[in-house]
Amino acid sequence: MAIQPPHVEDTSAMPAGGINAPQTSVIPKLRTRDLNFYYGSFQALHNIGIDIASRKITAFIGPSGCGKSTFLRTMNRMNETVRGTRYDGQILLDGEDIRKMDVTGVRRRVGMVFQKSNPFPKTIFENVAYGLRINGAKKATIAETVQRSLERAALWTEIKDKLHKPASALSGGQQQRLCIARALAVEPEVLLLDEPCSALDPVATLKIEELLFQIKETTTIVIVTHNMQQAARLADHTGFFLMGKLIEFNDTRAIFQNPKKKETEDYVTGRFG
Amino acid sequence: MSRMNMEISLRRRVTNIVMLSITGLFTLLTITILFCILGYLLYHGIGSLSWSFFTNLPKPTGEAGGGMANAIVGSGKILLIATVLGVPVGFLAGVYLSEYSGRTFAFVVRYVTDLLNGVPSIVIGIFAYAMVVKPMHRFSTLAGGIALGIMMIPIAVRTTEEFLRAVPNSLREASLALGATKATTIFTVVAPAAIQGLVSGMMLNLARVAGETAPLLFTALGNMFWSRGWSQPSASLPVMIYQYAISPYEDYHQQAWAAGFVLLALVLSINVTARLVISGRGATARR
Ligand SMILES: Nc1ncnc2c1ncn2[C@@H]1O[C@H](COP(=O)(O)OP(=O)(O)OP(=O)(O)O)[C@@H](O)[C@H]1O
Ligand SMILES: [Mg+2]
Repeated sequence: MAIQPPHVEDTSAMPAGGINAPQTSVIPKLRTRDLNFYYGSFQALHNIGIDIASRKITAFIGPSGCGKSTFLRTMNRMNETVRGTRYDGQILLDGEDIRKMDVTGVRRRVGMVFQKSNPFPKTIFENVAYGLRINGAKKATIAETVQRSLERAALWTEIKDKLHKPASALSGGQQQRLCIARALAVEPEVLLLDEPCSALDPVATLKIEELLFQIKETTTIVIVTHNMQQAARLADHTGFFLMGKLIEFNDTRAIFQNPKKKETEDYVTGRFG
Repeated sequence: MSRMNMEISLRRRVTNIVMLSITGLFTLLTITILFCILGYLLYHGIGSLSWSFFTNLPKPTGEAGGGMANAIVGSGKILLIATVLGVPVGFLAGVYLSEYSGRTFAFVVRYVTDLLNGVPSIVIGIFAYAMVVKPMHRFSTLAGGIALGIMMIPIAVRTTEEFLRAVPNSLREASLALGATKATTIFTVVAPAAIQGLVSGMMLNLARVAGETAPLLFTALGNMFWSRGWSQPSASLPVMIYQYAISPYEDYHQQAWAAGFVLLALVLSINVTARLVISGRGATARR
């Protein structure tokens, strides 16, 4: 069966979240329904209704401050740690409301790589092993998983001789790849990446993109990026955010070659001012 | 115009020089006071500072070779109890303030801790007397340790809170995002990230109470012999200094000076170690 475009959310014409069964063969891993998010009295997300396909790469683009990070951080309930935030609507992981699930369980299944790299002030090895230890991995398997995760994050060859050196001794780009390795080690079902390549050189970026292609076999990937070529190269589906609204969500090719909304077209062709 | 400019710049330069010399002078004065005290103590006490000072019990006045071994050990035991009590209580309260409590509550608790910190040490001594000595019907090492432990709590709370708050939030998020609970995050990521600050803060806190005399007068009392247990009166360096100094005997005065020197040296070395722990932070990060 041919893969059809995912559900296109038209926030103006349709009550968001009203019609939620996309005409598609892909299985949604994460869905949101009528999602409104607030920092105190400031509403950062408006009526987001979206189906994120399982084992695909979904990219979000949009100008700075449009709510991409906020959206990503609602999906692993990370925003709950920020005082004064709240949301209404639903976020469903495999059909289950994440608000009703145990928060550590949600975060264990939905991993995250942050916009700013944040390695622990521990050794390189301990950074990657941390998630395994707190989740009760068997001691014997830890070293092996750490190595495999570092290999997948394209960092192993560079650091295999200084595994027990502090992570702070790594370069910015290496630290970001360490954070990716740390997230991969616990094998999340969904991996949220917030501009993971903004500190990386083209070679490391390419390696990360290859990695994402690889883990797509088993993992649902959601990536925020400012790099439109990257979204075009990587993503199966792309969503465009503007001022807290999901303007358009469709197959990546459709977004870049045949956008339905004027705002999307202006943004992807660089006419956005 | 240019003459006015010159005048202004001259005046500025003079003010600058005057300020520099005044502040410099007072800095020098501060440093000099410390070295004067050290030198003075050493000068008067050197005669009694020998190996036997550290190993012998006090001897009656007139007999040679008396020491303060019991007071040194007693001080050590009292400070140990104080640490075991003050550090965990202060640390856990500090964790609560930094990681769990709301802003208003934290503000109130911080204010109360500052008040507790301002309670005169003699009042703390009376409090420990009423709470421990009275019910137990005797002065004891334990009571002395509790008095000093209470004195350590406020600073322990503030130190913990401040050093934990200084840990960037991104580290907490990194841990939570991996599925760690808040408690796991605090004890395996946040506190270890602040460990050098915490350790040195607690050491400075200990050094601060090590010289306290007043709270010990009503609690540990004093003892010319070895203390017979944790629930028995005990000698301590500050109280010994006090007792010897007010005695009418010249050789006791000399011993008091020596004890003063030992106490100051102890406090200074805790201080220096604490500073080394702090500066070690940079070294480990760079390694
Ligand atoms: N902690 C916060 N408190 C209040 N407002 C916030 C907070 N974090 C973000 N915002 C606001 O929410 C909006 C969305 O921010 P967000 O960080 O999600 O944007 P973004 O799309 O990720 O931008 P960028 O591309 O620059 O990372 C912005 O207007 C921002 O000012
Ligand atoms: Mg962002």
